[in-house]
Amino acid sequence: MVRSLILLLAALLALPLSAEAQKPIKVGVPLPLSGPPALFGEPASKGAQMYVDEINAKGGVLGRRIELLIRDSKADANEAVRVSRELILKENVDFLMGTLTSAEGPAVSVVAKENKIVFIAPIPKTDQLTAADKLHPYVFRVAANTTMEGRSAAEIVAKWPVTKIATIAFDYAYGQDVTRSFVEHIKRLKPGVEIVDQQWPKLGEQDYNPFINAQMAKKPEAVVSSIWGGFFVTFSKQAKALGYFDAIKYNFIGLGEAGSPETTKSMGVDYPVGIWGNSYDAFYWEDNPGPHKDYTARLSKYLKDEYPSSWAIQGYIGMAFLVEAIKKAGSTDSDKVSKALLGLTIDTPIGKQTLREKDHQANRGQLYGKTVKDPKYNFPIMKPITYVDPTKFMD
Amino acid sequence: VPDLSFAFAQSLSGLTAAMFLFLIAAGLSLIFGVLRVLNFAHGTFYMLGAYSAYQIVQWLGTGPITFWIAALGAATAVALLGGIVERFLFQRLYGKEELYQLLFTYALVLILSDVAKIIWGTQQKSVSRPAGLTGAVSVFGATIPDYNLFIILLGPAIALVFWYVLQRTRVGRFIRAAALDRETLGALGVNVKALYTGVFMLASFLGGLGGALISPMRAIVPGMDTEVIVEAFVVVVIGGLGSFWGTFLGALIYGQVLSFGILFFPRFSIFSIFALMAAVLIIRPWGLLGRPLK
Repeated sequence: MVRSLILLLAALLALPLSAEAQKPIKVGVPLPLSGPPALFGEPASKGAQMYVDEINAKGGVLGRRIELLIRDSKADANEAVRVSRELILKENVDFLMGTLTSAEGPAVSVVAKENKIVFIAPIPKTDQLTAADKLHPYVFRVAANTTMEGRSAAEIVAKWPVTKIATIAFDYAYGQDVTRSFVEHIKRLKPGVEIVDQQWPKLGEQDYNPFINAQMAKKPEAVVSSIWGGFFVTFSKQAKALGYFDAIKYNFIGLGEAGSPETTKSMGVDYPVGIWGNSYDAFYWEDNPGPHKDYTARLSKYLKDEYPSSWAIQGYIGMAFLVEAIKKAGSTDSDKVSKALLGLTIDTPIGKQTLREKDHQANRGQLYGKTVKDPKYNFPIMKPITYVDPTKFMD
Repeated sequence: VPDLSFAFAQSLSGLTAAMFLFLIAAGLSLIFGVLRVLNFAHGTFYMLGAYSAYQIVQWLGTGPITFWIAALGAATAVALLGGIVERFLFQRLYGKEELYQLLFTYALVLILSDVAKIIWGTQQKSVSRPAGLTGAVSVFGATIPDYNLFIILLGPAIALVFWYVLQRTRVGRFIRAAALDRETLGALGVNVKALYTGVFMLASFLGGLGGALISPMRAIVPGMDTEVIVEAFVVVVIGGLGSFWGTFLGALIYGQVLSFGILFFPRFSIFSIFALMAAVLIIRPWGLLGRPLK
């Protein structure tokens, strides 16, 4: 009788402990799920979800499941801050992995700092996010940054037989920063280069004709653009009609993922084939590191899309870093996980990635290539496609 | 000093932008002039016109006249939707406080743009320029895309047809009368209800047509509705709410200020337009060609 009572008591005592072990690790994911930026936010959240589903199927991490709480940040800094606070205070999330724009990222970084919660940014590129004066122990970035993107473009354009170069970018943090990095780096690489024109349409401009005419009047030999996403579709349709790409002999490099499969697919035959573009990922990347092929096949199945999104990988890698750090730390305590993230190298579908100790920035390069028509697809692809590793020209 | 061919190219690109804005703003102005409702959802009809055109092109494939069928089909579909919205929803709002009307049309914006997102997703869509208008002509050393030229000619043509209908036909007289005094017109035996529905459908048709025709020049994305409605409002405020030729003039000014603004204030072209609007509001609050509200 006494023995069974003790057993019962022991069982009762053990119950809360095992329940604690079963409690999922909660990760808050603020990403734009409405408006034009949903184009990137939605697949990025799916990539994160796919990674989590795969990890949970293998028993989770530290014996616990991972649960994603995905919220619409509306690509708005205030809204991103609001949902992040709510995720922390009401939902008690252990970590944050999300944000898309260069306004949202730094804003949520402040929330992470206040609440001492690890925050991994998968997409925002502004240098500000991890600049020395803004850096704190809890913020990390697995996206490329504007310095890396601008310099990657300069490395490519420096090899072109051109000296008169023009730029076009949106007049806000991302556009200005990436353009400045490009200009500084190309002047170092090729001192004879002359910047003959710079156009600054407002973010979200719909009518590029006046900017294109003004730029053509300066007769550049090459152009560097960071008009991104759907805006690039609008820009290039209008530019093509004005004979802009012919005038610069297709010496044009479209940053801001103008070479992504999403963009070339939506434009099809209207795409200015022959220009250079970049992308975070490409399902047709044949020359890839081993795991990429398998990742693409899984993603294709997961999204039920023959040509899966190039943005999913950012959510996937963001979650991969977080989970590997939790494993390494053996804990979900943000202070321990943030220490584990410093200098952490993990295997990803695009090869090894490292979060630098110095500035919490991953050595995330992008895929670059000249766009060509390919008989296999009814839209252009980048071929040959090259992963530009930024390690050698990161500050 | 910009050379002449460049200035010419710049003015034509301003003219193209102006004609699109006119198509959209004309509907907005018409609804306000006759129905006395500020229809925030007008931009959404424009967006639905673009998506519908894309959809019809997808169904029909590429053919020599596919685009034109798509443009007219899309505008008609949007007009029908406008008719339904007016008949069953808007009619309850006439004479109500302006705040309710604004809130209602804004709700409509949110609902319809979510519906569009459910149907077409968040991926950007694109429509090719129509066969036969894919080239460009060179005029005074400036390159003018054929399609832009077509738009520049179409705008004034539509304006003239409109003006003719409003000024010279029986229906036009009714519409003008309805704008002035609805009750008296009704007392004279005119079916004002049907007239309102007709006006709303016509305005929606113009909005839808604007969206369909702009699709070869822009990406079709969620959010294009709210972008255009702001521009259209600026146009009607400058030209005068409810004034037909005022809208035309407002669109012309908007296009040229945007085109040439970037030459003088490269980073403040949008500022020039809003500065102009503010100036108009201060000096002539009823717009350049509008009439003071009673």
